[in-house]
Amino acid sequence: MTSLARMDRLAALRATIADIERRPALAEAAATPQSGADGFILPTPGLVQEVFTDERRHAGATLGFALAQARGLLSAERPAVVYLQLQAEAQEMGLPYGPGLVSLGFDPAALVLIRPANIVELLWAAEEAIACRAVAAVLADVAGQPKALNFTASRRLSLRAASSGASAFFLRYGAWREASAAQLRWHIAPALSGPLSFDARASGETRWQARLEKGAITNTHNQEWLLEWTENGFEIIDTGSASPAQPLAQPALSRPVPADLADRHPQTA
Amino acid sequence: MLYEHIKGGLRLAAIDGQAASLKLSVGQNLADARAMVPGLTVREIDRPWLAAIFADFADWHSNASPLVAVMDDMTAFGDLVLDITGVAHLFGGEAPMLRTLLTRLRALGYTVAGAIASTIGAAWAVSHFARSQVVPPDQTAAVLDPLSVAALRLNPQQAAGLTQMGLKQIGQLPGRDRKALQARFGVSLLQRLDQAYGRAEERLTPRLPLAERHAERRFVEPIGLMDDVLMCAHDLAIQLGLRLEGEGLGAQAFHLFLYRVDHQVMTMSVNSGRPTRDPAHIARLFANRSERLQGDYDAGFGIDMIRLAASSVTQLDALQLGAFVAQDGAEDLDRLYDRVSSRLGPLAVVRSKFVNTHIPERAVKLEPVIARTADDPHAAPDPTRLRPLRLLPAPEPITVFAQVPDGPPNSMVWRRVSYKFVKASGPERLATEWWRAGRQLQLLGSDNHQKGDDVTAAQEALSEQSPAYREGQYSRDYYIAEDSSGRRFWLFRQGLFGYASQLDWYMQGFFP
Repeated sequence: MTSLARMDRLAALRATIADIERRPALAEAAATPQSGADGFILPTPGLVQEVFTDERRHAGATLGFALAQARGLLSAERPAVVYLQLQAEAQEMGLPYGPGLVSLGFDPAALVLIRPANIVELLWAAEEAIACRAVAAVLADVAGQPKALNFTASRRLSLRAASSGASAFFLRYGAWREASAAQLRWHIAPALSGPLSFDARASGETRWQARLEKGAITNTHNQEWLLEWTENGFEIIDTGSASPAQPLAQPALSRPVPADLADRHPQTA
Repeated sequence: MLYEHIKGGLRLAAIDGQAASLKLSVGQNLADARAMVPGLTVREIDRPWLAAIFADFADWHSNASPLVAVMDDMTAFGDLVLDITGVAHLFGGEAPMLRTLLTRLRALGYTVAGAIASTIGAAWAVSHFARSQVVPPDQTAAVLDPLSVAALRLNPQQAAGLTQMGLKQIGQLPGRDRKALQARFGVSLLQRLDQAYGRAEERLTPRLPLAERHAERRFVEPIGLMDDVLMCAHDLAIQLGLRLEGEGLGAQAFHLFLYRVDHQVMTMSVNSGRPTRDPAHIARLFANRSERLQGDYDAGFGIDMIRLAASSVTQLDALQLGAFVAQDGAEDLDRLYDRVSSRLGPLAVVRSKFVNTHIPERAVKLEPVIARTADDPHAAPDPTRLRPLRLLPAPEPITVFAQVPDGPPNSMVWRRVSYKFVKASGPERLATEWWRAGRQLQLLGSDNHQKGDDVTAAQEALSEQSPAYREGQYSRDYYIAEDSSGRRFWLFRQGLFGYASQLDWYMQGFFP
């Protein structure tokens, strides 16, 4: 009698353990970025993307690229985009400007600015915003290389994004890449604007040179695009074979990096 | 013993009982007092400090009754007045309440006198001129009558005049001709008399904002940890939420009063964008708010009472979720903004509010999201004007080379880096707002004035030469300039060529 009850309990426990073992440790419904008919990424909710650019003076380009993607994520259930920037960096990087958002085709009423005093509060606010089910995208503008924004922090945010369905964009500057759990990493550079038909000396539509450094978009093998911003969204400019996509100039490194020797032993010895 | 400087001399400002028994008096010259009592210990009085301490002290007494006021017309730092309507039963009646309040102050070494009466005037008279007691409403006249007329809160001249006329007791006044009294002593005497007997209404001005609804908890053993405080705040929020729900109300502001055993009150306030009564939300806001306190939180010797009060109470009807509610996410967003604002401060969570002006840096005002105001329909930006995506809050001066003084820029030096432009479009001319004057008109140059002394700046603003509107002086020509790597900047030249004495270039924004 007692042995039968014990057997039952043992079986139940075994089943529980098997259940735990079958489930991966950090299960997430990973969103996979899909490409559209033109071969460029479609707006995908629940992704963490890093948007890198070499220099801080390209701040306009990264913000434009991220906002352009975030615009596609706005919907009736998710009517807001949250932009985070440290208070001290406003004068150096510039603040998102309402009439400029209108020029880009983004509704300024949908953008809320959060201006924390330090990076820890910024990450906290980013996590709160990502967890909110009415936020379409979170744009975090981080000019420096803060220690707090490490792999653990980005992993945490990406899990949060995967479970809530909000997207996160980290706007980063410089050539240094630290480990991060972001699904996609873009390298953005401003490109010469398109021609304006009636004034050759004026700037035309905005163009970006975008390269996918990390991650992959399904259905496309392309890694590099020249994008133009139009009323309907991104348009890929075919540079043609005449001018092969020239590799982006190697940027200056923002901190000393030891040279990689062929034989690593002398370095460590 | 305290002294202060009065009319060029040092005079006694406050004395204790021991000094009074030595025949010293307030207002006496300090030198005279020293001559009378050689071993005198004196300190200079610090009135603002004492006033602040007394105010704190008064706030702390709101643990006995929510309506606390300080009447400062008669004594140096005021008299503490509590409206105990409906709270005496919490102390087991009026007499035990008076005893509790007085004993706990006496135990701390204060000399206290107090009275409970049906009018403020009567309570003041009894506490200052009789022993501490509770005066029942029907005996007010009987207790007041034998007291000196000075107990009516009269000024010294009025009291002296009445005494000279033989009217020494309050009881002698009501029978007199009111018109004659008013003619001699002014209307204030009659007013004080009526207030003491309860014939005229007297109001007190509460020190703390009057909480419309509140819940409180007292502790036998004082608590100190922030976690305990927050846990208690959650419990109180549940109580308060139930009460608000019963009445169909919600509130937008919540205050947590922490009463410390050493007679200090700490206050934490949180605001909510829309009326709420959700305990979990309120508790979360306080938890976030406490993170911002960091080192400022000091429980002292412990907290023995916590009160959660709600203000800005408005109607909030019960809502059936799911069936008829549009899922537009607005409520979720408001809660998010409440939470973030409670930790980072309301000024850190902002939205762009458009202002009806064509000066770019003034066209957008950052407004706290939880205190949003209605949009101005005339202020919406013109979509045909191309504007930068990022704007520098303060335009930065740059060096620009142009082929002709009023032509588009060829190259510039900004932040010590030079740029060569391949494309430039413009100008878009924005003139100053001629209906403004002075610094408001000048916009950029005003920074230099602020650094210099304000006196000259103020004089300049007043004098004739202050920058009144002059055509072209501060007009701006905006250009969109693109350099060879595709960076697009928004630059402007301040001052029109031929009008302004000096042409300055500034960088104001970046295009995508």
